[in-house]
This record gives sequence, structure tokens and C-alpha cells, in this order.
Amino acid sequence: MNNYMEQAYAQALWKVVEGGMSPSKAVHALRNSLRANGREALLPRIGRAFARIVEREARRTDIVLAIARRKDERTAHSQIKNVLASLGIEGHDLKTQIDDTLIGGWRLEGRGHLVDASYKKQLLGLYERAINT
Amino acid sequence: MDSSTVEKIIKEIEHIAPSHGGEHVGKVVAVGDGVVAIDGLSKAVMSEVLTFEETKGKKLAEGMEAQGQLLGLVLNLEEDGVRAAVLGDTARVAEGMTVKSTGRVLSVPASDEMLGRVVSTLGEPIDGKGPFKKTTMVPVERQAAGVIDRKSVSVPLQTGIKAIDAMIPIGRGQRELIIGDRGTGKTTVAIDTILNQKNEPKDRRPICVYVAIGQKESKTARIAQQLREQGALEYTIIVDAPASAPAALQYLAPFSGVAIAEYFMDKGKDVLIIYDDLSKQAVAYRQLSLLLRRPPGREAYPGDIFYLHSRLLERACRLSEEKGGGSITALPIIETQEGDVSGYIPTNVISITDGQMFLITDLFNKGIRPAIDVGISVSRVGSAAQTKAMKAVAGGIKLELAQFRELEAFMQFASDLDKETADRIESGRRMVEVLKQKNGEPIPLEKQVAAIYAANQKFFIDVPLKKVTEVEKRLIEFLDTKSSKTLVEIKKTGVLSDESKKELNKAMEAFRLGHEELFAGK
Repeated sequence: MNNYMEQAYAQALWKVVEGGMSPSKAVHALRNSLRANGREALLPRIGRAFARIVEREARRTDIVLAIARRKDERTAHSQIKNVLASLGIEGHDLKTQIDDTLIGGWRLEGRGHLVDASYKKQLLGLYERAINT
Repeated sequence: MDSSTVEKIIKEIEHIAPSHGGEHVGKVVAVGDGVVAIDGLSKAVMSEVLTFEETKGKKLAEGMEAQGQLLGLVLNLEEDGVRAAVLGDTARVAEGMTVKSTGRVLSVPASDEMLGRVVSTLGEPIDGKGPFKKTTMVPVERQAAGVIDRKSVSVPLQTGIKAIDAMIPIGRGQRELIIGDRGTGKTTVAIDTILNQKNEPKDRRPICVYVAIGQKESKTARIAQQLREQGALEYTIIVDAPASAPAALQYLAPFSGVAIAEYFMDKGKDVLIIYDDLSKQAVAYRQLSLLLRRPPGREAYPGDIFYLHSRLLERACRLSEEKGGGSITALPIIETQEGDVSGYIPTNVISITDGQMFLITDLFNKGIRPAIDVGISVSRVGSAAQTKAMKAVAGGIKLELAQFRELEAFMQFASDLDKETADRIESGRRMVEVLKQKNGEPIPLEKQVAAIYAANQKFFIDVPLKKVTEVEKRLIEFLDTKSSKTLVEIKKTGVLSDESKKELNKAMEAFRLGHEELFAGK
């Protein structure tokens, strides 16, 4: 949770690579800079922080469609067309996962949005309403 | 539930076209000490409620066993995400967990059914008496009533404590701070005030809200038991955020309490709210702020600690007739260290409130209870609300006691005193005795007036010091039976007329003649 130095370096590395610099050139420049400041020992930790940033960015951009059974895939794809269009996502960005705890239906999550049309959600909602009335 | 029922339900659901209304979500990236860092949620707003999705990847049965929805509260908006306080057990939050924004600010349920109940910060019943049937959701954070919607304080709120009602009177809608070291009787003063509301007629009786912040659960249970036994719980709501509760819930508890109080105030009712205590709330807020990496200021409290208390206490007010005429009287409690009232939080709250009563360890140890130091205690608006009868008898007490304290100190060095000084000291000693009061025994206004009137008339001057309390008690019992009409008259009119004074003098003389043995010299 803390803004450690390696995170700042990893963030800078991410930004220069995003900005168009080649990865090998960016890493080389970073290493030179660290060496000049006597901070070369930070490199492994910067690597791990960079991996975390990559993971976070992936979470931000990935769209995951979860379905209970493989056979539900086609139905789910046809049902989520409008949802994907409203989010501005093309079909080929989609990753499909099998999550048998969903019981049925589908669940689409990514880019800060969640659309849960699974049976599990409906059943849990039903259960909540039943015990609270 | 049998399998055929489950199948039926599933078939029913299959016929329901899935709703495609998406939710805004983020992911937990770090969690610890009641605070979570969430990536995403770019549309979240300050103080928005979040829900943690604990059922993801879990079987239906496990989801059904979950212990209610886990909530979070957005407290920091940052570049890549938000930081939120977990309003529950942090151990239930895991890294990577999906967090949903709800689009609503924190609200608690409020209803008449809450009277006589003990609830958590989130308004959930925790006394095992079952859920509330019908409730209204009220926002925890609300703008205090404006100047136009307010009315000045003019109706008294009787505490049933002679020293307070006589010298530091409190009006409905006032904010009076109770301040002192630990173990000086701050909670007792507050609880006695709640108990005394039983003496008020039902239609004018204030509803009481006792907010316990960072207290031991055993203490809160004892208070609930005391209120129940003395019949005061029926008009009281206890909001409990114990010491074991997360800091976020301790910080929010007073706001929940005042939100519930406002529900009643908006219905035109008078409410008395006690925050026991705001020092612990400030500590909880400091903990949260430091975990949220907000810059620390004096004593490591965040910069907005004053605003935390001022926006809470500003919600205590008396509304105008157009707004229903309801009121919230606040009695915040602050605990000092070694009697130091110049600490950061004590000075802040002293400056916000409309007066303060100081409870002093030395007085407490001398057996003067309530241990209120009347010299430095003050009520800035309460005198406008004091009943005429009390005003008539209490006018000179404060001055008399102040003079007595001076003379008492002087007496330690001087052995020979002139008669006038000696009399003044004796009279002062007896006045101190009259103002002593046992805890859990608030006294109705008319009896307070009678006792103080008797003291003013030097009725107790011939009574041995040790027996003053007993004689006073017996005198009040005597008046209750022989002069009940006069007492009823004082209660009804709130005035001590010349006629009433005559009656009281007669009754006092009759008591003296009937109890010569009690007046057997100093």
C-alpha cells in the first residue's frame, strides 16, 4: 500500500515504454540512472513492481466472460452483444472462463464494469429477499 | 430446501430475461488495518458505500452462509483508484476481490421501533430481539439546519442533578460538554440525565440516544441494564460501537446516532443525544486518517479533526415552529488526561459547544459527587431556558460557593475567624452537602427547588455536617407528603410564588419542630 521508491521507478518505466521507447532501451536507461545514483540494488524490486503494474493494467483492459458450462458459450455470446457494444468492446478482446459455481447464465467483468446474469446471483438475491421478509 | 423446489426456481429464473444493467466495479489491490486500496471505481464519489463481492468463485451454499453483506466507505479519491474503510471484519476482504459501487451515501435505518433497543453503528439490532419491521433510511452525513430553520434555546432540559440544574442549566437544543479525567463520573451524569427524563410528562419527554464509542461491551451492557431496570430504556436507543469494533465504525457511530436523532427531531420531537465519548472517536478517526496516508497535524490528528466535531455538533439544534419545533440536545463527553483541558481535542470541543461542565478528580475523591467544579463550568445559553422557580433559588449559589472556596482555602492558615466568616464557611459547607447527590437518583425539579430554597434559608445551619444529606432527604419526603400541593404547584407553573414560599417556610418549621433531634447543633 505504500508508495515505495521501486514503485515510482516501475511507474516511470511503464510510462516511457507506453510512450514508445523500446523496452530494452528503457531498461538500459533505467539501469544507468540507478547506477549513477547508487541505487542499482533496487532493480529486482523494480522488476516485481513492474510486473504488478502490468497485472493491474491487464485487469483494467481485460474483459472476462464467465459461464457455468462450455455449452452455454454460444447463448452467452449472443446475449452479451448489446452489452459489449455499449461498452465499446469488440468480441475478440473477450476471454472466456468456465466457472461452475455460477450454476447457469453468464457474468461479464472488465474495464470497470460488471454485468452479472448468472443464476447464482439471482438465487442469492431470492434467498436474501426470502430471509429478510 | 428440496431439489424439486430448487429446480422449479431455476426454471423460473431461466424465463427471466437477464438484466444487463452493469455495475461499476473495482478490484482490491491491498488490504490491511481496516482500510482497502481499490483499483478502478473511477466514478466513485466521496462517502459512497461500496459492497464487497464475497461470493465470487464460491458455491451457492457458501454464498448463502455469508454473514450479511460486507460494506465499505469511500474516504479517499486517488488517481488510479480509491481508498475505503471496511465497515466490518477486514479479514473477510481478500486481494483481487471485486468491489461494487452502490451510488448511494451511507444511510442507517431509523424507526420508532428502535426505542428500547441496542443497535450497531449501521443501525442493525444487536440485542437479540429480532429485526425491525418497518424502517426509514436516513443519511448518516447531513447538512445541519440553517439559521432560518432554527429557534433560540428557551425550553429547559432537566438533568435531575441539583448542581447542574441550578448552576449550569441546559436548554433543549443546546450542546453542553461533559469533560473530565477517567473515573470522575462523566457517564454517570449523562445516564442520570436520561433517567431523569422519566419525570417529564410523556408528551414532553425527550427521546434519548446514547452513543457508546470505544467502550467496553460490559459497560454498555451495564448501562442498558440500569436503564431497563429503572424504566428508562423504553424511551432510549443505544448505538454501540465497542472498543472491539473497527475504527471506521467507531468514527461513524456518533453520526449514525445523530441521524437517528434527526429522524425523531424532524417529527417534532425533542431528543437528547449523548456521545460517550468523542475523545475515542477522535482517536479512531486519527487511526483511519493515518492509514489513509492523510498528512498528520498536531498530536498526529488530521487537519479536519475540528470539522469532524463541528459538523457533528452543529446538527444539535432547536428547529423553528415551521420546521416542526423539534430539537436535539447534545451532551458530548471528552476524557482528559491528568486534568489537562488545554489538549487539542478538549479545546476544540470546548470552543464548539455552548458550555461545559468540568468534573474534577480531587472533588470526586473528597466525596463531592457529582464532582463538578462549578467555578470553571459554564452554560452559555441555558440560563435563558432555566425555569423561574430555579432561577429564583439558584441565583446566588455560584457566587456563594466561589466565596466559600476562597474562605476555605484561607481558613487553612488562619485559626481565629470572625463570626461572619465562620458562618459563611459553615453555610457553604452545608450548601456543598445539599448539592451532593447519589448516582442513579435524579431529583425532579420541584424537589430540587425546595431543597435549595431550604439551604438558602439557612435551614441546615444547625444540622451537623454529616447529617445534612439525611436531613435533606427526610425534609423532601416530609414535603412530599405534607406539602405536596406546593410541590405540584411549582412543577406545574415553574414559578416559586410568594404563596409557595410561605407554604414551604411553614412546612420547614413543622419539620424542624417534629425532628428536634436532627438539629442538635453543629
